[in-house]
Amino acid sequence: MRSQLWGLYLREVVRTFRNPFVLLLTVVQPFMWLAFFGSGFSQFAKEAASEFGTSNYIAFLLPGVLSTSMLSVGMFGSMSTIQDKRFGFMKRILITPTSKEVIFLSKAFGAATRGLVQIPVMVAAALAFGVTFSLSPLEWAVWVLALLFGAIGFSSMFLAITASSTDWQTPGVVSNFITMPLMFSSAALYPSSGFPVWMQWISKFNPISYSAEFGRSLVLGSGIVWVDLGYLALFAGVMLTIGYFVSARWLRVE
Amino acid sequence: MNDIAIETRDITKRYGSAANGVLALDRVSVAIPKGTVFGLLGPNGAGKTTLIKLLTGIADITSGDARVAGFDVRRQSLAVRSRIGWVAAEVILDDEFSAWENLWLQARLQDLPDWQGRAEQLLRYFELSDRKTDRVSHFSTGMRKKLEIALALLHQPEVIFMDEPTIGLDVSTRRMIWEIVTGVHREFGVTVLLTTHYIEEADALCDRIGIIDHGRIIATGTPSELKSRVRSDVIQLESKEPIDPVRLRALPGVQDVRAQGNEWQIRVPSADEFLPRLFATIQTDQIRRISVEQPSLETVFLELTGHRIGSDEPMRDIRKFYAQVRRARG
Repeated sequence: MRSQLWGLYLREVVRTFRNPFVLLLTVVQPFMWLAFFGSGFSQFAKEAASEFGTSNYIAFLLPGVLSTSMLSVGMFGSMSTIQDKRFGFMKRILITPTSKEVIFLSKAFGAATRGLVQIPVMVAAALAFGVTFSLSPLEWAVWVLALLFGAIGFSSMFLAITASSTDWQTPGVVSNFITMPLMFSSAALYPSSGFPVWMQWISKFNPISYSAEFGRSLVLGSGIVWVDLGYLALFAGVMLTIGYFVSARWLRVE
Repeated sequence: MNDIAIETRDITKRYGSAANGVLALDRVSVAIPKGTVFGLLGPNGAGKTTLIKLLTGIADITSGDARVAGFDVRRQSLAVRSRIGWVAAEVILDDEFSAWENLWLQARLQDLPDWQGRAEQLLRYFELSDRKTDRVSHFSTGMRKKLEIALALLHQPEVIFMDEPTIGLDVSTRRMIWEIVTGVHREFGVTVLLTTHYIEEADALCDRIGIIDHGRIIATGTPSELKSRVRSDVIQLESKEPIDPVRLRALPGVQDVRAQGNEWQIRVPSADEFLPRLFATIQTDQIRRISVEQPSLETVFLELTGHRIGSDEPMRDIRKFYAQVRRARG
């Protein structure tokens, strides 16, 4: 199983890096959020600095945008799976001693790795926008780990939902259906303290909120919130388990 | 039992429910000895690819049993899949990868620790060594097909499945693939199960042939065994003037005479023996055109199924079949 998983995982990673257009899109999308949404909102955030906990909105936004980006990389994992089904590559894989679960794991980890590519680029962009970072190496490491948990969780969720689909359009539709509500009901773009009660409840369970607030706490110098990291690890574990069993049962070959 | 590479007993594949589904394979039983090239010959939609899907574990068997390389396809799927190779009808490679990287991935999927030597040997055999680091998207169709066969052979499988290996290829590439299939079988000693709807391909490549139509295997045997089932030669004759059919039927050895205007089909046991008698009855200047059709797999197929392999009739059936499958799948 290790041999197959490593082979298929490396295939995902190599294919990402050999496709500069996909790589560019992966990085440009969150950068746009930072550049346009961040710049457009920063004056308002400055006026409500007590709510945001900082007068630098980009510093507030960066962990949120990185968290929502981990959500969107899940879509790429689904698209790559559907491409393999449509072009018959899934058959090539399965007419070897490789199980459907291994294919799922390789896609989930492959998509998560693609998500991590965004971190250095976005941090560099935030530096250019005047954000200063004073994180310890441990804090950097746990931040990356938290984002990795989010990416694994969301890509597993996407793969589970689209396991039986062979339609190119499905990942896009699912993404639209999931991304908007999860992003806007989280603390990714603004503090959740101003939410109506029902939205606060959603936000309380929303992994993006945990991921955004975990990163924000590090960027704004409040240290590591281990409980948030634990929640994200649990989210990743549960989604990975669900995706594993769903794929074994429902992953369509063609 | 040990000499059998592939054995199926009454395997059936049904898409959809028992009431409204489509029966793609109907109680197929075959036994393919080790070391043979076995061809499944039948029109599109006959169930050839479905049988390969069942035997490779890609699709579930509805009922019946199948063993490949000594293992039960349903219960010992992983053991089967590590002993088989597969060549798709449409070439399936990772186009972003080089030839060597495709071999590397296949080695990973087959969990082969020492594969490089074998991979180099295969690249040499298929004359791809000098292109091994090139991306396969830059390869010609023939080269891609060769690489696909190399992938199928990398883990030294006991059985290779080739689904329509020459479909959509030009005549010269097709000939090249024929030579490769024959060579691979001889050099690497694998059992080959190939599907085809080209009669000449089955005749040229296969030690044994199974004729499949509407999901059922109608006949199996060596090409010559199958041809001997049709014992008659058919003489196609076009005359300048009308001929009295009674004169033709009266000739010794005539089994059947059919006429359409001045065109005649005369069925006889042996054209060699019959033609002198014919020329003694009809003056040769009365004959505009004459030809002899000897037993071929084409005539065997026609005799067994009532239609030619490439006629319009089965095409209509196929469209109907796929429409039914789509409906059954919802």
